[in-house]
Amino acid sequence: MRPYFEKMAEFGKPLTEKQIRASEESAKKIKEVERSIEEAAEKVRNAGLPTETINARGEWTVYQRLEYLVDPGTWCPLHTLFDPMDEESGTTGVVDGLGKISGRWAVIIGFDNKVLAGAWIAGQAENILRVTDLAKRLHVPLVWLVNCSGVKLTEQEKVYANRRGNGTTFFRHAELEKLGVPVLAGIWGTNPAGGGYQGISPTLLIAHKNCNIAVGGGGIVSGMSPKGYFDLEGAEQIIEATQKYKAVPPGRVEIHFNETGFFKEVHETEEGVLDSLKEWMKDLPAYNPRFFRVAEPKEPRYSPEDLYHLIPFNQKASYRFEEVLARLTDNSEHMEFKPDYGPEVYTGLAKIDGFLVGIIGNRQGFMPKGYPEYAPYPGIGGKLYRQGLIKMNEFVTLCGRDRLPIIWFQDTTGIDVGDLAEKAELLGLGQSLIYSIEQTDVPMMLVVLRKGTAAAHYIMGGPTANNHNAFTLGTATTEIYVMHGETAAVAAFSRRLVKEKEAGRPLEPVIERMNAMAKQYYEKSRPAYCAKMGFVDEVVPLPALRKYMVAFAGAAYQNPKSICPHNHLMLPRIIKG
Amino acid sequence: MSTEVTAPMAGKIIEVKVGVGEEVQEDDEMFILEAMKMEMPIVAPGSGTVKEIKVEAGQAVEADQVLAVLE
Repeated sequence: MRPYFEKMAEFGKPLTEKQIRASEESAKKIKEVERSIEEAAEKVRNAGLPTETINARGEWTVYQRLEYLVDPGTWCPLHTLFDPMDEESGTTGVVDGLGKISGRWAVIIGFDNKVLAGAWIAGQAENILRVTDLAKRLHVPLVWLVNCSGVKLTEQEKVYANRRGNGTTFFRHAELEKLGVPVLAGIWGTNPAGGGYQGISPTLLIAHKNCNIAVGGGGIVSGMSPKGYFDLEGAEQIIEATQKYKAVPPGRVEIHFNETGFFKEVHETEEGVLDSLKEWMKDLPAYNPRFFRVAEPKEPRYSPEDLYHLIPFNQKASYRFEEVLARLTDNSEHMEFKPDYGPEVYTGLAKIDGFLVGIIGNRQGFMPKGYPEYAPYPGIGGKLYRQGLIKMNEFVTLCGRDRLPIIWFQDTTGIDVGDLAEKAELLGLGQSLIYSIEQTDVPMMLVVLRKGTAAAHYIMGGPTANNHNAFTLGTATTEIYVMHGETAAVAAFSRRLVKEKEAGRPLEPVIERMNAMAKQYYEKSRPAYCAKMGFVDEVVPLPALRKYMVAFAGAAYQNPKSICPHNHLMLPRIIKG
Repeated sequence: MSTEVTAPMAGKIIEVKVGVGEEVQEDDEMFILEAMKMEMPIVAPGSGTVKEIKVEAGQAVEADQVLAVLE
């Protein structure tokens, strides 16, 4: 199949001076948002104790461990601003992302030992769920940097129980192991109770000499108050018991290396533990990338920096999706699927770091005259119509057949509405797309380039509506909501306006509420809010999109559960005709 | 040979991006039309010289209304 892929059709045009000049203000605004996101991320990285304090104890921080462990230039952080339960530290107490260790992709997560010694805190269980799901979907190893003091006892009700409580991590590790996904763990510090199970549940345990893992820590071993309440006498007993157990915490290396043998290895130094993880990673199953590559990797012919001048900050302004895509794909080449059908959506094949992937994205601007074919009104990009929905169903199904990972780009205002749209089966075709996606069982990545709106956000590979979305990225121009705030305010208050008018009452109080609602929609759809709530897994600078796409493609092809021989691929042949 | 540039749908011209006598290439943006809460470019259907501009910024236009003539 070399002739299909070695040289695909080139696309995209260089930016003109006029374009650059006209988009300077827009680029400036995008970079301002990116700066504010980076400032928020820096705050998260500085949460808890200062690095110097941890280092003075003879320990490294999780960030120092990651720096040493991960291959330079490969780290793609995820969930940096995720804090869905407004934890007082402003974090979920874990740091995670995709990165290479010893040349192999892994999902990597570590407890932030600067924040309450790596405690289970509010929002963390949901973060860990996303991480174990990511390893499951990409079928790549999960590597843990365990340093977990257990439940933040003052807020146990927020972390301990429930269908998505912190303890579900342990069964999810078992689930990954059942699926053949190994979980490696480096273990440092004191890990009692929940921390103990964080330590024991992975596949391979590599211990630091001073670490311990235990069913319960010193505090639990010293027991409950026999009187049913606390007084001075009881307090003295607690002090005595705690001092005793503090000196000798349960589950040390003497027990779990010498006696139980749970620890595979024990290392004297921070570097020793991390070097061991690097060594073990070399032994885990991973295809040589050349096995799946369809061509030599190449950078795009046009710089990803151009994206600042192609994607307008003004959400109403239009742009050409193909020009955006040409800044992200190998050598700015592609093979478009059905270019003359369903023109509001781009579908096609492209190479990312030499790997073949399916790409789907919304086009913007005017549709050709006569489209959509079922209605007298003109079509505009961002909306989904009958042909576009049918085309996406077909393309997704064929990607599943050809075992091609899919990268989605959303900038959508929703599916067309009204009786004509209903008659054209749009409701059913949208749900059919959810069905088609679910049937594919291939990894997917989503970029919400600008708008993710209404059911279209679900059906175009959104994380809400399938099992295959590995992760979702936002950008400085992302906004996600069920509908635009102004539209929502009209929907919510139009009848109230009529009533007030008919009753002869003043309209100002209703108008005030409408404006307040529109403002709230705006504030709760911004990129930082989307990241905090987990609508996206990370907000990245526009030029960094390519790096995440490379990580996604590389990880998806590292050890896939199912493969299609290149000489059996159908999509390129269907495109060729 | 003259070519007419028309509005694909009713809306408001919010920007005229070319002037009379200016050379344009196919797909160059000539006008920005605001319609259905979006701002969308109207592009040159082919290469040529702008012979006439028939609308100005802020003007409401109907579908198929001639906005400019290319030569």
